[in-house]
Formats: sequence, structure tokens, C-alpha cells
Amino acid sequence: MKQLFLPSSERSGLPSSIGFFTASFAIREVVMPKIFKLSIFVTAMIVLVSGSAWAHSVVVFAWVEGDTVYVEGKFGSGRKVVDSPVEVYDSQGNLLLTGTTDKNGEFSFKARRKSEMKVVLLAGMGHRGEWTIPASDFDTAGSGEVTGAESSGPRQIAASGSVSAEEVVAGTDTPRVSPGYVTGAEMQAAIEAALDKKLKPMMKLLVDEKQSGPSMTEIMGGIGYIFGLVGVVAYMASRRKKSL
Amino acid sequence: MHISEGVLSAPVLVTGGALAAAGIAVGLKKIDYDHVARVGILSATIFVASLVHVPIGPSSVHLIMNGLVGLLLGWAAVPAIFVALLLQAVFFQFGGITVLGVNTVLMALPAVLCYYLFGPLIHKSRKVFLAAGFASGFFAVLLTALLVGLALMFTAESFFEVALLVVGAHLPIMIIEGIITAFCVGFLKKVQPDMLPN
Repeated sequence: MKQLFLPSSERSGLPSSIGFFTASFAIREVVMPKIFKLSIFVTAMIVLVSGSAWAHSVVVFAWVEGDTVYVEGKFGSGRKVVDSPVEVYDSQGNLLLTGTTDKNGEFSFKARRKSEMKVVLLAGMGHRGEWTIPASDFDTAGSGEVTGAESSGPRQIAASGSVSAEEVVAGTDTPRVSPGYVTGAEMQAAIEAALDKKLKPMMKLLVDEKQSGPSMTEIMGGIGYIFGLVGVVAYMASRRKKSL
Repeated sequence: MHISEGVLSAPVLVTGGALAAAGIAVGLKKIDYDHVARVGILSATIFVASLVHVPIGPSSVHLIMNGLVGLLLGWAAVPAIFVALLLQAVFFQFGGITVLGVNTVLMALPAVLCYYLFGPLIHKSRKVFLAAGFASGFFAVLLTALLVGLALMFTAESFFEVALLVVGAHLPIMIIEGIITAFCVGFLKKVQPDMLPN
């Protein structure tokens, strides 16, 4: 090791003894290759990094199944956010409920109101992630079913109870509500329940996909920006130097 | 060591922003032509270091490298850290734009402190400069962890509890960064003594 680095340490001993401005020229000629060496270090680090996991962004994902909302939290590294408080807010920012994630980083609750919700996961030490469930998620899964049940209820009573005035209206409705037939609303609910069940693994897959962390392109892009900035600053500095 | 968006209160964010702006101004004044490349490379180091995830301990932690950067750059570490954090926020969604000032201060203040505390020891004997390198890497992370506790103190969480948690989670990082920093100082002393502070 020592022998390997000896020639360069001899060289770099040079500029320290010379004046400041001459040193700057020496740096350009002598130091640059060494800076190149250092940048190899940085590159080696990136390669090391690309194989390892990612940390520090908290990803929350929430989806609706029937009237139950499932919440899953993970760190960008894929590590589950365990035993961490979850807060659920409505669209006005009022706190609806709080809970804690279990050992799998999951939390679920029954949604009483089918409106937009914001799920906030507090992962500790200043880490926080959030996910907004749009009202449309409930519309297809929950409230459609509920309003369907509500509207078919009174109609059924009307069909069996009253006779004279509403007979015409009730008469047209009777075939749909009579036992043996499946109403549109029931059918819809059954299909949605089945779809939710089938789609759950897909949802999980999407969550995992979302949490796969920064890509090589992003890493190289960031480093590119930094080197570009160095170029800009060096250019400005060199112009200032010339004008002096 | 990034605080996420929406965690801190407004006064903390504003104070952090103002301190970071002042630090960046001082740092930029200290960067002359000969130091530009060095600042850039160390900025890239910080940018990438946060992706090196250390799976030891109860929480999810990564390398920070502010001790090394502070030791080598002094005040110029502030703009270097700022640029790295900005790009991390944009590319990796670590931290965020509104907390950029606070996160910069969290990492840069210990860096500059380490420069003044341990920088002068770099030119002493081998044992001393290796110890100074280790201490720089170790204490920079420790101070950052304490500052995280301080920043979170103003938003409901108690200082002692959070600080204990953050310091505990980062204990492996402190030791690893101490070793890395000591190794880097030793390496630079052999290969490139000009990079070390005067």
C-alpha cells in the first residue's frame, strides 16, 4: 500500500511549498488526475449502492375493500413501518381516527364516511408519509352498494304494503325485487367484492413497485447535476480571474 | 437523516431556512477557483452516501458523511450539503423542498463545528490525526442526531425521547462513519495532503 502511493505523495508535497497562485496552476496539472482518482471512488460507491436497499422515504399506501380501508407503510428500503401511529384525516383536515400499524406494517379500519380521506403515517424521528384516498374509491366499492340497498328497501315495502295508488309503479318494480332474482345493486356489490379480492395481490404488487427506490438514472442524473454545477461555478470563477 | 415534509412547525422551518441561507452565503464566499472541484466531489459524496443503507439497529438508517465533508471543506460544506439535499429531495423524495433549510442546518452545522474542532489536529502525528478523523465522523452524526431531536422538540415530541431514539438508531452509523472518515484522512494524507484543511 505504502509503496503504491509513494510517488503521488512526493508530487503533492510540491505545491504546498510554492506560493498561492503558482499552486493553483500546479493543482490543475498535478491534482486533477488525483481528483479523477477520487471520482473513481465515488463511482465505486455508486456501484456498491446499486445493490443495497434504500432508506428514508416513507411510503404509505391505502386501498378500499368494501367499507374497510387497508393501510400499509414501508420505508423506501422495503422495511415495514412497524408499531407506528397512523392518523386519518378528512378532506377538511379534521382528525377522524388514529391507530397503530401491526407487525406487518399494516393497519385497517372501517370507513364510516365515504368521502375523501388522508392517511398519515408517522414513522418516528421526523419521518412521515401520507396517502390520499379519493372519494371515487369509495363510490365504486362502498357507497354504491349502500345507496342501492337503501333505495331497494322502501320500494320493497311499497310493493308489498300499499296497493292502489302506487300499483302501476310497484307493478313494474316487482319482478326485480322478488326472491330468486338478483337485483342490479346486489350483482354490482358481488362483482365488486370478488374484484377486490382478486385485485388485492395486484395492489400489493403495485405498492412494492412504487417502493423500489431511486433508479440508476436518477442517481447518475443527480451526480451529473452536481458536476454540471461545478463546471458553471468554475467557469464563473475563471472569468472573474481573467477580468482582474 | 432527513426530516420529512409536514412534520415541523413553521417557525422551525423559517429559522432553519434563514440559518441555511446565511451558512450558504458564508460558504460560497469561501469557495475560490481552486476549491470548486473539491466541493463538487464532496457534494456528490453526500448525495450518494444517503443511499448506502445500514441494516443494523431498530430503524432504517443510512450514511451521512457530514463529518468527512465538514473536515475537508469547512464552511464550504454548507453549500455542498445544500446542493446534495436539494437533489436528494428532487430525485429520491428524501426530505423535501420546504424542509431543505432545516435539513441543511442539521447536517452542515455539525460539519462546520467538526472543521473547527478537529481540523487543527489533522497535521499532528499519525495517532492523533486518525483519532481526529474518527472523532469527526462520530461526533458529526451524534450532533446531527441531537439537532434532529431539537428540531422535533417544537412539534409535540419531547426532546429527550426523540434524541435518545435517533442517537440509538444512529450508533452503528457513528462508528462506521468514524472509521470511514479516519480511513479517508489517512488516505488523503498519503495521496493528496492538499485536500486537508490548513
